[in-house]
Amino acid sequence: MNVETSYSGSTAVAVVDGRVDSANAKDFDEELSAIIDRGVSSLVVDCGGLNYISSAGLRVLLIAIRKTNEAGGGLALCAVPDHIREVLEVSGFVRLTKVFATADEARASFAG
Amino acid sequence: MDVKLEMEVGLGQDEPRRAVERFERFANAHELPMGLVFKFQLALDELLTNVVSYAFDESESDPVITVGLRLTDAQLEAVLQDNGRPFNPLLDAPEPDLELSAADRRVGGLGIHLTKAFVHGLRYERVDGWNRLNLVQPL
Repeated sequence: MNVETSYSGSTAVAVVDGRVDSANAKDFDEELSAIIDRGVSSLVVDCGGLNYISSAGLRVLLIAIRKTNEAGGGLALCAVPDHIREVLEVSGFVRLTKVFATADEARASFAG
Repeated sequence: MDVKLEMEVGLGQDEPRRAVERFERFANAHELPMGLVFKFQLALDELLTNVVSYAFDESESDPVITVGLRLTDAQLEAVLQDNGRPFNPLLDAPEPDLELSAADRRVGGLGIHLTKAFVHGLRYERVDGWNRLNLVQPL
């Protein structure tokens, strides 16, 4: 798993690739928490390179959704591969966060 | 076709990943469809993560966890066994409420929920001090 982040004011885009499971969910949590702790309230997680996520990874996303919601922004996902999207649907995460085709669309959703 | 793979799984946090990656190589070597491999892999991962995290007390002297895979023309089957405390994840895990908001959602139970959704046949039994989970996916 690798996370590369670009910042623009209180908005950030985090590009995640590889796999997130119970073995590295703690690292993923630390990465997202560090981003939010820098004052980011609107976080886009780009899942284009994410090839695997288990419930341990979903738990981390849920924590980040809560934190960004509390900060008055939110968390959006983009470029989600079909098999990951199915995980989000089955786990009800599509109700908790918006899913966009591209990072630009996700970022724009926070602008209004 | 009738091929088998047996493996032992340790108690470390990296062990479920090691096991499911072995399963992935096994599945890819036999050219199983990617979607099926992903779902079965996720189910194995969730169940093994549960076992590794909760089935054994620190006092447990001789923890054993095994995974047996069997692939035939008709189906993919896995048998997970552990000698930890009796636990039926199919019944004993809380069912998550997917209607709740992010603030109210509990973090537990999702793994078993995904497992039930992604694997066709799931069966649990307790036999002679062993938890035995059987997963079957028709091909």
